[in-house]
Amino acid sequence: MAIDLKYTARQQALRSEVRGWLAANVPTKPLPSFDTEAGFEAHRQWEATLNAGRWSMVTWPTEYGGRGLDLIEWLIFEEEYYRADAPFRVNQNGVFLFGPTLMEYGTPEQKARFLPRLASGEDIWAQVWSEPQAGSDLAALRTTAIRDGDEYVLNGHKIWSTRAVYADWGFGLFRTDPTSERHRGLSYLAVPLRTPGIRVRGIAQLDGKSGFAEIFFEDARVPANNLIGAEGQGWSIAMATAGFERGLMLRSPARFQRTAQRLVELYRLHAADCDPGTEAAVTQCWMDAESYALATYMTASRLIAGGSIGAEASLNKVFWSELDLAMHRAALAILGARAELREAPGVESGAVDDACRWMDGFLFSLAGPIYAGANEIQRNIIAERVLGLPKG
Amino acid sequence: MDFTFEEEQRLAAQSLRALLDDHCTGADLRRAAEALDFESYRAACATRAGKLAELGLAGMLIPDSQGGLGLGPADFVLLAEEAGWAALPEPLVESEGVANVLLAELTRHDAAAGEVLGEVLAGSALVLCAPPGVDVVSSIGLADYLLTGAHDGELAVYRTSELAIESATSVDPLRRLGRIRQLPGRPLASLGGEAARLAWQAAEARSAVFTAAQLLGLAARMTALAVAYALERKQFGRVIAANQAVKHQLADVQIRTEFARPVVYAASAAPGGVRAAHALIAAGDAAQLAAQTAIQVHGAMGYSWEVDLQFYAKRAWALTGLQGGRTVQFRRVHTALRDGALPIGPDRLFDQVSLQGAQP
Repeated sequence: MAIDLKYTARQQALRSEVRGWLAANVPTKPLPSFDTEAGFEAHRQWEATLNAGRWSMVTWPTEYGGRGLDLIEWLIFEEEYYRADAPFRVNQNGVFLFGPTLMEYGTPEQKARFLPRLASGEDIWAQVWSEPQAGSDLAALRTTAIRDGDEYVLNGHKIWSTRAVYADWGFGLFRTDPTSERHRGLSYLAVPLRTPGIRVRGIAQLDGKSGFAEIFFEDARVPANNLIGAEGQGWSIAMATAGFERGLMLRSPARFQRTAQRLVELYRLHAADCDPGTEAAVTQCWMDAESYALATYMTASRLIAGGSIGAEASLNKVFWSELDLAMHRAALAILGARAELREAPGVESGAVDDACRWMDGFLFSLAGPIYAGANEIQRNIIAERVLGLPKG
Repeated sequence: MDFTFEEEQRLAAQSLRALLDDHCTGADLRRAAEALDFESYRAACATRAGKLAELGLAGMLIPDSQGGLGLGPADFVLLAEEAGWAALPEPLVESEGVANVLLAELTRHDAAAGEVLGEVLAGSALVLCAPPGVDVVSSIGLADYLLTGAHDGELAVYRTSELAIESATSVDPLRRLGRIRQLPGRPLASLGGEAARLAWQAAEARSAVFTAAQLLGLAARMTALAVAYALERKQFGRVIAANQAVKHQLADVQIRTEFARPVVYAASAAPGGVRAAHALIAAGDAAQLAAQTAIQVHGAMGYSWEVDLQFYAKRAWALTGLQGGRTVQFRRVHTALRDGALPIGPDRLFDQVSLQGAQP
């Protein structure tokens, strides 16, 4: 029989092991937001704890400190992770974007230098891609990295770099050939952010916290052996990274299943006060979270069987980002006037915390359709590369 | 855990696709739809009906202990999707996917149905079903036997020649509806009680999943038709497919379709409960959106009788109303969530309890 939707004994054993470890190790009190200095360090500490249990990079090969789990096992790990309400991963971009890129394109020396410190949380990585004039049109980027002896000299301006305020390293695209245009002449560099000539300035987000940053480069010197892949190969490496990001691993379905579960629980508490439109939204959100999870299992099975993921990754990105928004909108509709409260003297703190959590989540969910490639661009990709329509 | 189809299952779907590409074209559908009477309708469909019989699908889902092929619903779901892709007029899904299994179940309880089962397995009789209380049946004129019940909780088989049937008209000219006016006093075989209730429940679950699969095929077909038209139609000196407004609408249809697909496939592995309802809703929404968008992309042509798109759209509209339509299915999911009857959360996706969920 094909389509076997039962876990094997080994998969169930993995689930139990993960569940047991998380029950013993997840902080009982939620960590402060990683968009604050104290919160960032608390989350860095959590990465170290995860790594000590060898749970920080479960899909990485064992030689790099991972467990070599396949994608189905990764999904199980993630399900348990979100079930336990474990802290968000401050090194998300390092673990899921830079790590796999380095494993594919890095030299043995680079892997040895970067991967263990990434895994342990000693180095937190930020993605350094966008520029003021190069957002959706990334190939318009102008920040240069000019070879000078055994160094690159960086000049220019990067922006919207998530968690770069407190991060140690950045990975990104730079123009190593100043005469080049568009996708040519770009190179992929690992940049230590505490380098003379590099100035990082936090940008306050919608929630007031400095979750992203702009980075100014003024004759900043970076060792040439931080070049990942060959000079000029940057665009194709970056596109591989974008594939990881939009593909499967940026947002595991468990995250949305957990939010959907919380939404249903919130709805049950307030069912008597809900209008039919809100009821319908809750049900639709729960179904969509299930759909996304099932789709991911199907893709994971296909990849394990030797398939690959291409432009259809754009379908995922649009779907989960719009689902996340819809779930938070529904929660705010249920909460009504309570939703705006940031703090409320005299009101039981649990109720306010929960309302704040939904509003914080809502603000963050508004970023979903924008980051990792705006959804307008994703819809273009779907139309052009999945459906075969011409470029406009 | 392996959420992929086997090579053999894909090949079976491909051979059905190939057959229908040749014998179930838009022109074939039009000829059948415009047939003036039932005899000319049958004549228009005769070649295809013969080819379908040669595929050797008879008794696919009937247990091998009863002379069938003993395959499961997951073996049939891709075939149902192909039937949707082609807007197949013949009730392949309704007979092979739903009624025949029900007949086998009846035969296990009442041997008198064995003769009918024998004819089905030999490919000489067509059986359809209508749960008690449902009096309108598609393609009833083609059927030799009907499984239904005189009252709730009964499963019985009747010779269609002994039924009082009047024709009814569907928005989909290819569904050839009939309304059962009266059942004869005595069925050929019958079953009551819990066994009959469970048999009907299983049949409705299969019907939900395979209807969803047809809707998935219909959605994909209408998208393909809209894409083809958008690539051909020129305005302002270029094909309309180059316009972002057109591209994004079609991208949205693709998203809805591709996120309905895994739900339908997962439901086929264990038809029933909330997941079957979810499958029907998701595929129905995708097909509805595909129909509306494809018509819009076709412009005024989309509103004309001349374009074949209408056959796929009308099938989608007809199928989305089955089993109480979205309203009933949605309420089923909603009630299970509201009452806490459904274990939910990131670790419960494949929970057997959640798959079955609350029955109405």
